[in-house]
Amino acid sequence: MKELTLTPIKKPDIPVEAEVISPDKVAGKNLDQVKKLPVYVGNTRLSLGDYFKVEGETAEKASEQAIIVAGDAGKVKYIGTGMTGGRVLVEGCSGMHVGAQMEGGELIVTGSASDWAGAEMKGGLLRIHGDAGSQLGAAYRGSPEGMTGGCIVIGGSAGPEAGSFMRRGMIVVKGDVGPFAGVHMNGGEIFVFGRAARRMGAEAKGNGGFIACMGEIEALLPTYVHDTTYTPSFMRLYMRRLRDQLGLEEAGEFIDAPFRRYRGDAAVGGNAEILVADKQ
Amino acid sequence: MSFRLNGVEIEDTFAEGFGMWGTRIIITAKNRKWANTAAAEMSGFATSVIACDCEAGVEREIPPEETPDGRPGTSVMVFGFSKKRLATPMLNRIGQCVLTCPTTAIFNGIPEEQADDMLDVGASLRFFGDGYQVKMRMGDGWLQRQRFWRIPVMEGEFLAEAKFGAVRAVAGGNFLVMGATEDATLEASERSIDAIHTVPGVVTPFPGGLCRSGSKVGSKYAFLRASTNTPFCPAIKNTFPESQVPDGANSVIEVVLNGLDEPSVKRAMGAGIRAAVQVPGVLKITAVNFGGKLGKFQMGLKDSLGVE
Repeated sequence: MKELTLTPIKKPDIPVEAEVISPDKVAGKNLDQVKKLPVYVGNTRLSLGDYFKVEGETAEKASEQAIIVAGDAGKVKYIGTGMTGGRVLVEGCSGMHVGAQMEGGELIVTGSASDWAGAEMKGGLLRIHGDAGSQLGAAYRGSPEGMTGGCIVIGGSAGPEAGSFMRRGMIVVKGDVGPFAGVHMNGGEIFVFGRAARRMGAEAKGNGGFIACMGEIEALLPTYVHDTTYTPSFMRLYMRRLRDQLGLEEAGEFIDAPFRRYRGDAAVGGNAEILVADKQ
Repeated sequence: MSFRLNGVEIEDTFAEGFGMWGTRIIITAKNRKWANTAAAEMSGFATSVIACDCEAGVEREIPPEETPDGRPGTSVMVFGFSKKRLATPMLNRIGQCVLTCPTTAIFNGIPEEQADDMLDVGASLRFFGDGYQVKMRMGDGWLQRQRFWRIPVMEGEFLAEAKFGAVRAVAGGNFLVMGATEDATLEASERSIDAIHTVPGVVTPFPGGLCRSGSKVGSKYAFLRASTNTPFCPAIKNTFPESQVPDGANSVIEVVLNGLDEPSVKRAMGAGIRAAVQVPGVLKITAVNFGGKLGKFQMGLKDSLGVE
């Protein structure tokens, strides 16, 4: 894999829209061409080279391209948007829409990410070591589907409406989630190891979708019905995968754990599930 | 023509194998007892397609660290003459023998990249949930995509992988152990089975892996399409005109094996024969064939043993 390093050379006053920071946009170009790739600051079109020092090598294919953003990019939006392969590492924070609509590859943010991280993601792995803002993996306003594939792992906490309109894929939050996690979800899986705020799963239809809460829950909607407390075989599979393939050691504690199973949202005739680890 | 191995005559002949479709199902359960119970039930009454709906057997016990859900597992292999004649008994047997067995779950034992086709058993199995089954998707867009069905049962929930890999497999691997006494023949045959089960991808569908009757195509009765292998029955060796029981032999047992591919079956045959000839009293090893007219595979005993 060939590495291209982008080092921030100035801190913008307003966000820079840089969806060109993607293996797909960089692969097959030389360094001069990369420096001239367009970025937008407000309504002004500038070049990537105006904000980043560009060094390293480019690959012929996106799948062989690694991009390292060597510094804080908290005001850089759309990093890795729509990427189909390769690897992006942000050494610090990222701005809004990081990994939005990405289809493949791996995107890692060592700091925190702002709103709309992984929005409408289709594939690949997005890993944010810090916190994520609101609308993590969510559908853009007016869109009928949010995430349709891929995996998002948040090392910290996530804001409101994580996984809204989720259809497939997986979101894992090691910390807390804000209100309305999984709102309108119609498939996919959300795992919360911290505290889950109220109104999760509101208007969720089901289609195999579930929210698993390993920590506290603030409140459940009254339109979720408690069925039973049991040790589901399928949860064993997920917890082993979280532990062994995503490195979440804490998941190992829940491999044989009993879960309280709630079914809803009855307000929309849904059959989604909320599974809450039953503290012994 | 023959040759000797550890002093035992090995006839230079071949086992005639048939092409079948085969699959592998991994059954897991809370403990080994229930995994083995389900596997035994599922592979019951599946010795030969002469009168059973399929051929099946237990391949091996799988330690928890090798199973998808980390519980004790047992792998069962099922064989049928076509994909449909494999999928139907699979569905029936999973539905009646595994779904009903406490704590079990089932997983595909042949990954898609190794399979010749995938059998969507879950598409029918799910209806046992009577509308309350839940489709479960794993790995979409970032890992190998897997599909499962979660079916509510009175004890809890039955988890079943939706699709199972099927391959063009080989059935009818065999050899005959001929001994001076019943005890020696049985002991040699038992040792063969133990040796065969060290080879992955092979099962022995008959009771304990052994077929004491043998079988031949047809009979003197018009209504019976197969009968005991009279040329190898010592009890009638001096009255049956075409008897093939050698002098001194008073018992013959057939070891029958099916496998996912021809090399595995041959390797297992070789391992079984080598184990059998270690037992004193074994006089001869041969194999059953139809002159190469019926089966697609000719698995020579020499070839199986790696003898030039």
